[in-house]
Amino acid sequence: MGECPLLEAIFVQIDINEYERENEYRKLIENYEGKAEHLLAIMQDVQKQYNYLPRLAIQLISDYVGTPVSRVYAMASFYKAFSLVPKGRYVFRVCDGTACHIKNSETLLDRLYQQLGIKAGETTADGMYSVETVNCLGACALAPVMVVNGKVHGKVSPGEVERIVKEYGGQNHGS
Amino acid sequence: MEAKVYKDDRQTVLVCCGTGCTANGGREVFRAFQKRLENHPEMEVLPVIKATGCNGWCEKGPLVRLMPRDITYCSVAEKDVDEIVDKTLLEGVLIKRLLYRDPVSKEHLTSHHLTDFYRKQHKIALRNIGEIDPGQINDYIEREGYQALKKALQDMDGQAVIDAVKTAGLRGRGGGGFPTGSKWQSCRDAKGEPKYIICNGDEGDPGAFMDRSIMEGDPHTVIEGMILGAYAVGATHGYIYVRDEYDLAVQYLGQAVKDARQQGYLGSNIMGSELSFDIELVRGGGAFVCGEETALMASIEGRTGEPRDKYVYPTEKGLWGKPTIINNVETWANVPVIILHGAEAFAAIGTEKSKGTKVFSLVGKVVNTGLVEVPMGTTLREIIYEIGGGVLKKRRFKAVQTGGPSGGCIPASLLDLPIDFDSLTEAGSMMGSGGLIVMDDHTCMVEVARYYVNFLAGESCGKCTPCREGIRAMLEILTDICNGKGKLEDLQLLEDISATMQEASLCALGRTAPNPVLSTLRYFRDEYIEHIENRFCPAGICRELTTFYIDPEKCTGCTLCMKSCAVNAITGEKKQVHVIDESSCIRCGECYRTCNFDAIKLARRDRHEN
Amino acid sequence: MKIKLNGQEREAQKGESILELCRRENVTIPTFCYHQAFGGQGACRMCMVEVIEKGRKESRLVAACTYPLNSPVEIITESPRIQRMRRTLVMLLARRADRHPLLKEMAESYDAPHLGAIETKPADCILCGLCIHACEEMGRSAIWSMFRGIDKRIATPYDEAADDCMGCAACARVCPTQAIKVEEAGSERKIWNKTFELIACQRCGKRYATREEIEYLQERSGYQQEHLCESCRKKTLAINMKNYLQ
Repeated sequence: MGECPLLEAIFVQIDINEYERENEYRKLIENYEGKAEHLLAIMQDVQKQYNYLPRLAIQLISDYVGTPVSRVYAMASFYKAFSLVPKGRYVFRVCDGTACHIKNSETLLDRLYQQLGIKAGETTADGMYSVETVNCLGACALAPVMVVNGKVHGKVSPGEVERIVKEYGGQNHGS
Repeated sequence: MEAKVYKDDRQTVLVCCGTGCTANGGREVFRAFQKRLENHPEMEVLPVIKATGCNGWCEKGPLVRLMPRDITYCSVAEKDVDEIVDKTLLEGVLIKRLLYRDPVSKEHLTSHHLTDFYRKQHKIALRNIGEIDPGQINDYIEREGYQALKKALQDMDGQAVIDAVKTAGLRGRGGGGFPTGSKWQSCRDAKGEPKYIICNGDEGDPGAFMDRSIMEGDPHTVIEGMILGAYAVGATHGYIYVRDEYDLAVQYLGQAVKDARQQGYLGSNIMGSELSFDIELVRGGGAFVCGEETALMASIEGRTGEPRDKYVYPTEKGLWGKPTIINNVETWANVPVIILHGAEAFAAIGTEKSKGTKVFSLVGKVVNTGLVEVPMGTTLREIIYEIGGGVLKKRRFKAVQTGGPSGGCIPASLLDLPIDFDSLTEAGSMMGSGGLIVMDDHTCMVEVARYYVNFLAGESCGKCTPCREGIRAMLEILTDICNGKGKLEDLQLLEDISATMQEASLCALGRTAPNPVLSTLRYFRDEYIEHIENRFCPAGICRELTTFYIDPEKCTGCTLCMKSCAVNAITGEKKQVHVIDESSCIRCGECYRTCNFDAIKLARRDRHEN
Repeated sequence: MKIKLNGQEREAQKGESILELCRRENVTIPTFCYHQAFGGQGACRMCMVEVIEKGRKESRLVAACTYPLNSPVEIITESPRIQRMRRTLVMLLARRADRHPLLKEMAESYDAPHLGAIETKPADCILCGLCIHACEEMGRSAIWSMFRGIDKRIATPYDEAADDCMGCAACARVCPTQAIKVEEAGSERKIWNKTFELIACQRCGKRYATREEIEYLQERSGYQQEHLCESCRKKTLAINMKNYLQ
């Protein structure tokens, strides 16, 4: 939500490659009928494939479905499933659902900051790691929970964070 | 109402592979069983191995159950599999260390059915979970699956289905508690085509995972419920809106819909009748507000999830302006049982105005965390202490939060409250979707209010003034209070803003957003005053108001706190008194909560530093 | 259909909103987000009134702009409860446009307490949403409400010059707090981070519309038009009529 300071920096880099990808985007987008009811599904497919919603893809989706760009962008900015900026290769999602919160999920974020040098909502400069908070993954009995690229880690103690980060090569990344 | 369990005496190994147990290695255990039993020379008939959905007892996972002897092994690791096969499956010998040991009687219990956790439960919505492979439609069929549909199509008409649901007294399980039968009647009576059936699987309440377990563990019960609903109101299209974060649920539901279609339970002329109905899956975009029915419909229509005023109900004008019924996952899961076993049997359970059972996710500072399904009217005390095993580490119970961000906190004095829709609302909370979050004396109630308001600050759609600006103002005030900048007048301001939010907000998110604030003000006002007047947080949670120091008299030098410190602020040799370096301490409280000797103390930060 | 409005019997058209009825009957209800052209949005919540529906004893609060009159009801537009609510709403909304006369006057008239001002983007925006509806109706929906929750704000995609923006400034004209900045200098107009060339009226020379706006109107109407500003167009029309009638 809000401003994306990373956007400017990263955008210039990916500008050149995007236009080469137009056909790739089209293939994904045109899997569905060009109707507004498929907007969510189309955007999710693109998000999953590219780890964010490329600007060109948003334009193509708008043309294909017949919904103004502003409204496609509005959906991209409204729904948390979408990212307008590329996420890191490894995304550390710390659950901040109530059960995890009262079992001190905040301390896990402290540990991640210590290891990776980034806070929730940020991505490391080299694009390798992102940290996010998630609103309840539905594994509340295992609070506190952290998910890394789909793998669920339950009952994560602050001490374990270092071990998990190491699994992905991120130890002392922030130093 | 118990379904027949197993038709033959073939040995079956049920391995829980719900999200919780999977995180703990359930899948590895499952695969180990598969490998080991692929071609076992000593077995004439190879056991059936099933990966099931969430059993509910997440605390003791990964769970492995052996039928038909009904043996439950807890916290099973991959390395235990060989022993289980050799000792229990082949020789029939129990492995004591894997059995659950009752903390009071000290007995080892063979079956989970004998444990306190399960004994008091009554499974209707969860009847199949843990017993079947959710990816196999035949498992569902073997346990009376689609029998209700058959009965309805053969012996009843749509109105009779509605009458049964009305007599049963089923009320929405998603939070609203609206009488399901009445809702269906309005839709049946409404004019417009096509009519739609929607399943709200957007389970957004943090701390709740009931719907996830049902969608993952028994997808067909939802589908059968929806087909019955379609038959009742004359609908032709159905949508299951699943929360984006629930990968496994999407997978199993997708498979189930395909299988149901293939077997003729979905599509044209279902089971040879005139009913034609099909279901489409929609993945949510990640928005709590989309649990609100009009926002959910906007989302399906390809718009942002902004609700609308409901002066005209969705049953009249819903999806694309057509008559629509939206019900929660758990509500749908109850429908086949009502139709097959009769409305009276269902209505015999529960309280006068809240019939049937409710699934709760019992989480937080409680010993037995997991999913429980109990008859309405069970008291909070029974659930937390008898089923839940009491508060973790025997700490003092402070409150139980129910109803998610729309609900409130219930103090110890109300533990004997029988849980039903009305009693919880009167106490200043609500049933909500069923989250029960147990809090102990290490939980700060002001911070809990702030937490929920902060959650809603990001989840509100932002369209209407009272919700958006009301939440903004409340968040500023609560944050100030937690940071020692609060003023007593703030409390009145919180109450004024709350009143306007309750009256003027566009949707239920805004109307119920003040609940966590109002309920904590009602039962824990002293904590607010403590934060404001004394600039102290008795629970040791608010970092700006707290500092920690080690009592040299009590410290045994065990080094446990040192290991727990994220910033290495504690120094000390083994068996020597440890010291916290105030300048590097971030006040996270980990050491305080870790110490087993009560050697770490709280102090007011501003006083202590001076 | 007969309904009761503030104790008096009135005739209402089935399906019309309470607000439409009140406007016709000259009963004032404060609104921020209502515009005749767009109908009721239900966003600002200032228009909440009490209704007692058939068969009920207690009144409930509903938004006058979206509540449809489909059955005989009793409507109350002023009461202590309503007054308190409006007061709090104005208190909350005034934070966004702290120094704008509209909000200042309303805050004074309701005697609303003053809460600290907050910065909005654009400044003074009260999120009434009128601009996005104007753009939707008159233009190509170049702006919309982005993000959600307390960060919600009106913007073009990426906060950059939008391809769809024609610079017609319909959004700026409809904004109750003049939050949308239009900069005009010579033959240029700048709005929403985009610069446009203003075309001159063929008759009087006044710079009256952007090139994109004229092209869009031609596209929508289907025929070429002379470049005439509004007053010159009226004059031309009047002259043509005169000639035709003579």
